Amino acid sequence: MLKMTHLQKVYRTHLIETYALRDFSINVREGEFVAVTGPSGSGKTTFLNICGLLEEFTGGEYWLDGVDVRGLDDNARSRLRNEKIGFIFQSFNLIPDLNLFDNVDVPLRYRGFGASDRKHRIEESLSRVGLASRMKHYPSELSGGQQQRVAIARALAGSPRLLLADEPTGNLDSLMARGVMELLEEINRQGTTIVMVTHDPELAARAHRNVHVIDGQVTDFDSEPALRTSSRESGMGNRESAHTEPVSP
Amino acid sequence: MEIRPIFSALMRSKVSMILIGLQVALTLAIVCNALFIISERLDRMDRPSGMNEADTFWFGSTGFGQGFDVNGVQQSDLQLLRRLPGVAAATSVLSVPMSGGGWSTGISLQPNQRTSTASTAMYATDAQGLDTYGVKLVAGRNFKQEEVVARSINDRGVPSVIIVTRALADALFPGGDAIGKQVYLENDGPTSTIIGIVERAQTPWMGSDFIENATFSPSYMPYGTSTRFLVRAEPGRRDEVMKTIEQKMQEANPSRIIGRLRSIEQVRREAYSGDRAMAIILGVVIAALLAITALGIVGMASFWVAQRTKQIGTRRALGATKFDILRYFQTENFIITTLGLVAGGVLAYALSLWLMHAYQSPRLPWYYVPVGFLCLWMLGQLAVLGPALRASRVPPAVATRSV
Repeated sequence: MLKMTHLQKVYRTHLIETYALRDFSINVREGEFVAVTGPSGSGKTTFLNICGLLEEFTGGEYWLDGVDVRGLDDNARSRLRNEKIGFIFQSFNLIPDLNLFDNVDVPLRYRGFGASDRKHRIEESLSRVGLASRMKHYPSELSGGQQQRVAIARALAGSPRLLLADEPTGNLDSLMARGVMELLEEINRQGTTIVMVTHDPELAARAHRNVHVIDGQVTDFDSEPALRTSSRESGMGNRESAHTEPVSP
Repeated sequence: MEIRPIFSALMRSKVSMILIGLQVALTLAIVCNALFIISERLDRMDRPSGMNEADTFWFGSTGFGQGFDVNGVQQSDLQLLRRLPGVAAATSVLSVPMSGGGWSTGISLQPNQRTSTASTAMYATDAQGLDTYGVKLVAGRNFKQEEVVARSINDRGVPSVIIVTRALADALFPGGDAIGKQVYLENDGPTSTIIGIVERAQTPWMGSDFIENATFSPSYMPYGTSTRFLVRAEPGRRDEVMKTIEQKMQEANPSRIIGRLRSIEQVRREAYSGDRAMAIILGVVIAALLAITALGIVGMASFWVAQRTKQIGTRRALGATKFDILRYFQTENFIITTLGLVAGGVLAYALSLWLMHAYQSPRLPWYYVPVGFLCLWMLGQLAVLGPALRASRVPPAVATRSV
């Protein structure tokens, strides 16, 4: 699903070069739920940005669902992002002036779906997160947990192959965080690959596999994803395909 | 197109939309009416006087001292003028078109008519008059020198023959058979026979409602000891003749003062200086209004781009291309401008009605508002282009930044 090999991201000024990612390799297979952990400034967000085609990288290779993303122009990256990736942000990033229906509609319009198809997808994805009855509400009328559910609905509406979550529970209390995490696990069980950046070791422990990043390098990874997942095997329809294999930590 | 969600979002922040919409509305209303007034003024300034303006000039001669023979000097001056090198024709006149001063009267078809049939400016001149003015005789004949009579300004009498403009002839005799007809310049006076029709000669008064009605009377009519002369120079020699005329006239008769030497082009410039000033002032007002509106749009769009940087990054992260972002802001501006223009269209016609009522100005032609719509739409789209391009350059990675 996602394969990075010897990936490098360097920020250059005329005085200094700063490596955000160095010789970063990872292979995430379809259906996996991978948690990326690490201290602040370790390169987690840069990794997520590159995963999500939000930033370009300066060296190495990155294949996303069989597409070599090197050299893609901005429009092609936008299209690929729109078709294959769903984003969940720490601060939800809902558009405050749009109601829930229109918020979920945003990526679908960029996709070019017809009005009836969009309506069907919006209703289905909001139903999936339990907010179908609040379509005409605005984000400010919802709790943080509900807003994150809307963001998840928005991410799911376009049926992405990969869900990227950036500290999805970082702005939520523990009860809401648990609800969101259960929702992500449910989505993963239904076949969507998830890569989640988190500080929270408890949340990371619920993923199939952990990748630990320090100073832009993968320093540790869970080499036994099957053992980790076996305890939650019930209900995970694609457990076989969830096996992961780090390329070069 | 994203019109519905953009409109819905705008309705959540109405104040900015209303302020810019109002600015657009006022701009449309004022610009349309101001442009119409300018266009009217320019049309006024473009009206032909009927004269040969390029080659003609006029000046006054005022005698002083006891026993100054104004009629005798007038005749000798005319003979001198007609002999001067570069002079094609010369005549004595009472007034010229656009000069702002002259003599007018009413013309009736019957004696003691309650109200005259038409009003007219009176130009007193001699047999060389039409040629000197440069007006075009289109029917009938010119004056004969023997028909020209010396009159006093206080005892103008009634000429036995007159030449009128086509507009006056049509007003008096709509059937088009004015030549040979008799009219009354005085209620109970003798009649005057129309012997000729000239194509056009405006009155001296630019605001007159009978500006195309003029009558030529075969008269020498000094004003006290003053006489005015109209001179037509040979083509291209007007300035040369004007430079020496004062000295030559003075040399011929030092017992008078030559003054108020003006080319007819200068007379026109002075006559329309108010219109020109009005057109310039309104042009400046229009330019300032458009600039302020454009700056308002730029300011609002820049503020919104800065305020929504994270939102733009999120949209980019969700799959919007740079063009999608550009189009978003252009569409948003289009919606606000359109709402303002609809209100402005109504306001423009309302303002026109008020001007009609208060100042008797003509009705604003219908097409000014749609043309104004197009211009302000373009202005809005151009004004928002810079901020929209800035917005399109917001990187998608902004979506994951915590501040």
